[in-house]
Amino acid sequence: MIRSVCVWWSVWMVWGQGPGGGVFGAEPAAAFEPRGFLEQYCVSCHGEEKQKGKVRLDTLLPAIGDLETAERWQKVLNAINAGEMPPEEERQPRGEEKAVFLEQLSEAMVQARRRLSDSGGVLTMRRLNKREYQNTLRELLGVPVDAKDLPNDGGGGSFDTAGKALFLASDQFEQYVLLARRALDQAIATGPRPVARKVRVEVEEEANRRITGILRGYQMGGYRANKEWKASKGRPTTDFGIVDEGEMKFRQHVWDTNTAPMIDYLTREETRTGALLTIHEPNGQVAVAIPDEMPPGRYRIRARLGLSGRVEASRGFVEMGFRGKALNDAMTLIDCRRVTAPIAQGEEWEVELELPRLTVPLKEDIGPETKKRIWVGERVIALRERQPNTSEASSARYRQALETTGFGVEPALWVDWMEWEGPLVEQWPPAGHAALFFKGEGAEKNEGYAREILERFASRAFRGKPVRASYLERLVGHYRERREAGDGFEEALKQPLSIVLASPSFLYLSEPAAEPEGRGGGRRVDARELATRLAYFLWSGPPDAELQALADSGLLLREEVLGGQVDRMLASERIGEFVKGFVPQWLHMERLDFFQFSHRLYPGFDDSVKRAARREVLETFATVLREQLPAGTLLRSDFVVVNDLLAQFYGLEGVRGGHFRKVSVPEGSPRGGLLGMAAVLAMGSDGERSSPVERGAWVLRKLLHRPPPPAPANVPQLSRHAGKLLSARELLTAHMEEAQCAQCHRKIDPIGYGMEHFDAVGQWREVERTEVVQGGVARKSKEHPIDASGRLPDGTAFQDYFGLRAAVSTREADFVRGVGEQLLEYALGRPVGFSDEETLEALTREPAGGRVTLASLVRRLVLSPVFQRKL
Amino acid sequence: MNVSSHGSSRRAFLRSGTAWIALPFLESLGFRRFASASVPARPKRMIFLGFGWGVTKETWFPAVEQTGPGYELPAGLRPLERHRSDFSVIQNLSNKFTNEAHWGSTFWLTGANRYGEPGQSFHNAVSADQVAAEHLGKDTRYSSMVLSCERGEESGHGPGLSLSWNRQGKPVAGLQDPVAVYHRLFSNEQTPVEVQRERLRQQRSVLDTVLEDAAGVARGLSRNDTDKLSEYLQSIRDIEVRLSKEEQWLGVARAQPVEAVGMPEQAPAGADEIRLMYRLMAAALETDVTRVITYRQPVDTLLKGLGIPFTGHNMSHYSPGPRMEASQRRDAKQAELLAFLLDRLKATKEADGRSLLDHTVVVYGSNIRSIHYLDNCPTLVAGGGAGIRQGGHWVMRDPKTPLCNLWLTLLQGVGVPVESHGDSTGVIGELIG
Repeated sequence: MIRSVCVWWSVWMVWGQGPGGGVFGAEPAAAFEPRGFLEQYCVSCHGEEKQKGKVRLDTLLPAIGDLETAERWQKVLNAINAGEMPPEEERQPRGEEKAVFLEQLSEAMVQARRRLSDSGGVLTMRRLNKREYQNTLRELLGVPVDAKDLPNDGGGGSFDTAGKALFLASDQFEQYVLLARRALDQAIATGPRPVARKVRVEVEEEANRRITGILRGYQMGGYRANKEWKASKGRPTTDFGIVDEGEMKFRQHVWDTNTAPMIDYLTREETRTGALLTIHEPNGQVAVAIPDEMPPGRYRIRARLGLSGRVEASRGFVEMGFRGKALNDAMTLIDCRRVTAPIAQGEEWEVELELPRLTVPLKEDIGPETKKRIWVGERVIALRERQPNTSEASSARYRQALETTGFGVEPALWVDWMEWEGPLVEQWPPAGHAALFFKGEGAEKNEGYAREILERFASRAFRGKPVRASYLERLVGHYRERREAGDGFEEALKQPLSIVLASPSFLYLSEPAAEPEGRGGGRRVDARELATRLAYFLWSGPPDAELQALADSGLLLREEVLGGQVDRMLASERIGEFVKGFVPQWLHMERLDFFQFSHRLYPGFDDSVKRAARREVLETFATVLREQLPAGTLLRSDFVVVNDLLAQFYGLEGVRGGHFRKVSVPEGSPRGGLLGMAAVLAMGSDGERSSPVERGAWVLRKLLHRPPPPAPANVPQLSRHAGKLLSARELLTAHMEEAQCAQCHRKIDPIGYGMEHFDAVGQWREVERTEVVQGGVARKSKEHPIDASGRLPDGTAFQDYFGLRAAVSTREADFVRGVGEQLLEYALGRPVGFSDEETLEALTREPAGGRVTLASLVRRLVLSPVFQRKL
Repeated sequence: MNVSSHGSSRRAFLRSGTAWIALPFLESLGFRRFASASVPARPKRMIFLGFGWGVTKETWFPAVEQTGPGYELPAGLRPLERHRSDFSVIQNLSNKFTNEAHWGSTFWLTGANRYGEPGQSFHNAVSADQVAAEHLGKDTRYSSMVLSCERGEESGHGPGLSLSWNRQGKPVAGLQDPVAVYHRLFSNEQTPVEVQRERLRQQRSVLDTVLEDAAGVARGLSRNDTDKLSEYLQSIRDIEVRLSKEEQWLGVARAQPVEAVGMPEQAPAGADEIRLMYRLMAAALETDVTRVITYRQPVDTLLKGLGIPFTGHNMSHYSPGPRMEASQRRDAKQAELLAFLLDRLKATKEADGRSLLDHTVVVYGSNIRSIHYLDNCPTLVAGGGAGIRQGGHWVMRDPKTPLCNLWLTLLQGVGVPVESHGDSTGVIGELIG
């Protein structure tokens, strides 16, 4: 039968290891000395005399110096992992012996793959990735561009800045032209200043009309039909306008259950002056619809809200989002806010948002039976009480409450009115327009001016690289052609301008090669190239005027000027682009979206909380960066960076307002540091149960800088625990039974055990509850006491989570080294190579009497030769 | 890379590329349409369907001791019962270089070695469909149709944009939206031919302009960066080729399928999306707008549509219980959809009186068996296009028979003159015996 269990060995391997599974500088693995093992178990069949399957192993060198040797070793590794070798009838290695051999060979393979794919520090010219492309267009034209149709970048285990992995698909060029054209249509303002409108909606009018209509029509209709049908004793249901008996019974059921909630709603005092937000029926949302004819741009949404005194204050969170395809469908969340004012008093909420180009017109959706009328479309902005973002969860809650209250869930929130206002135009013509047509509105619109516009724009778009005369000539040719075809001056410029934004000088961060190529350590980049590298590293976008000016004058090459710019950029608002670009990829945070977190088990971990939890990671990183705190703060801190919603989730008192800020945590709190963050813990689950494997592997990879090798393929798997109620820890003991699993899992799982006091969404628990579910209902359940003791790979033992956190936080140097490597990969867009050893050493060296800060890592990296050299 | 900066030599640039293709003549096309009834040889077609996360190994594969035509269909294939004489299941095929336990499609049709290039951490090679397209695609409006799904990595496909990789081993983007596919296949231009011709001229002129800039960028680039720029140039060349084809087909109305494909108002998801894509694929072959199609199918949304609460990956790590049941339901749904596609292909009669399926080979599989097993890749081949024996279950004697042997067998079967593909060692005798 099958021999081992790798049930949980899991998702980290989807993408290899996430960006940068670097292992440089980690403790060197024990020397790979395979000969003894091979001689004992392999060579009798695969040696000098016999070469079964044409495989000979006695000549295989342990130094894996070329691809062919690597492939031969890979075969050995695969065969042993798959349990194919040694064959069953032959002598078998003991468990520990086999585990050690596999561990060493896997590690040697990781090192060899790295060495063989080491580019020697050579950067590959990179294309603007999706984020950079969007940011760059926004900086150039002053309008947002919706690039969601562009293919996703990255994948395959690299950052989205890795030039090698940034391919260009064959239809991508045309998409660039199209996206640029759309952005130019929005940026170039030939008409009069758009007139802003402000529309206030008394939301109770729509709600009351809709509910009354359904009550009088559909509900009463069903009731009457049933009554008359029953009285008729046997006439067909169609005589009463109902298609068949099933439908007739359904209508009776609907009458019996839904009528009371509607009457309850309509008779509540608060619905005369505003709308109550119910959970599910009868009034789950109120909304405004911004009409189709309004242009894209910035809009302001306002609402006046109040909190009912009849519910717990903790329910006072309201969500704003773009409505989905139905009233109770999932929304695209915009924001979430706590409401504290009582209904009699009310409080106002104001949100500004960017309305993209309209793609599908607004539609009034009319229920075929109920005649319920609902506005649906991409510009319908709705409010609802915070809840899981799926209709099943809220309808279940509604049905459950019906049984006890008769009308559903007691409503918590009241909305007086909603208002939209916009477009909010700061200046006219907009800044992007003014930058293009630099001579102002009075200038003579002739070909000479068009040429100047095109040259200036191309030069900006190309980040100061020269614009070829022959290219410019062709651009002017396109303009001329459009003019001859009857286009106006501005219109005729749109085509050549969009061509600029699809040209290689714009799309690629190109740098001419060093002479001689690849030898002599390359050349120093010039000031403009340096400015571009720096701006795309820290802002994921082009240099601003100040940086460009320093580049043009060459002053940027002076170390103190460069250092000053780094400090300025770190302090600027645009540094958020770096945080958004680097942190989620570094920490592999897309995992948060892999799972539907079970609403049944974790109703409190809805999308608003998940968003806040994700944001906590970014805001904490940003705080540590901005405040020049030691990088090790991320391992353990006496504060968290949270908003009111997340504070409530963590049980922290006294946090008011939706903005993120530093909050001290009490002594003995598990929060403070990455290990205690809800997002990190939730990533280490499958949405239902915690996964010590995920968590352990993550800690090894991201905090301790000891990434385990990728999951081997073809390891036999057995799951013999079906239907048994085992704790996560009990499930994993099987990993130790078979060498193929044990070799890695003995390093991974014991770390994960230390985090078992956190459930799948990062809430503290004293016991682990497991259940057997059939048909969505728990049939059996059991509570397991938690054993959170474990050890680090170096043998350091800990008793519980606090011991784990303390042990991890003393390994700050390893962590800093890991962050340093990741930053280098992200900044340069290439994997860390063996040639980077010296750089990393210098980068992560502790200053005298101090600790390494994130800001100093960034600063040192920019000032280091690798950042400034072109090989 | 030599970048011509003169529009006049653009044709030469086009021909210099590896993507050079023979362009059809309108006359001969007209003739073929007119004379098709008397031409017995119908064109061969290929369809490749890839489903990411593999299958449930316990219930998808026929028992190994039942080979040949008399085997019992396992649960995972049972919805295909009515077609059993038209397809074969083949066991023990795999890609020997693949070690990535969650890359179900990246190397499926290429057999390449990720580490095959020193100094690089990722390498791929041309996929079988693109080899076929060079040959079978000469006379059709589109040399191939590449269809895909969103967020492929979550559906277990691994890096890439579709199942297809070009001659340079770079990913080929696929259409993900059935509406876009529909328009590309069947929407006819309402504008006069002269206007269309003028538009093509302008599009070419745009390409010439960016090539002018590319020539400047190319100057002084390192070898490594020149390679990168060549990706851009290749994409421009691909567009050139497409525009040339469009020009050749100017004024030729797109043929419409006998039974129109009804398009829903909103793009469907999950099973409905796959079914609609299948409809479009059958209609595309029927109208001979292309002869080679690949489709990287969605898995995650399929599960969602079936009310399965797991992601594809989570399900793929099944053990007896809800996740295994989910995996089995997925198998059955996918087989049911495939049966639907085969129905469509059978229902369409060709000029020679046989069905479209008789002239088409449909491959259905994944580089992942299940969980993270990469050996014995699930493989089903249907249809008469490649002239292989159908209706049987074959277990290759060598448990590591290259999947590329199958690709080679099929390529040769449809008349593509190739001697090898990927790591192939020869054709599969059992199939042609």
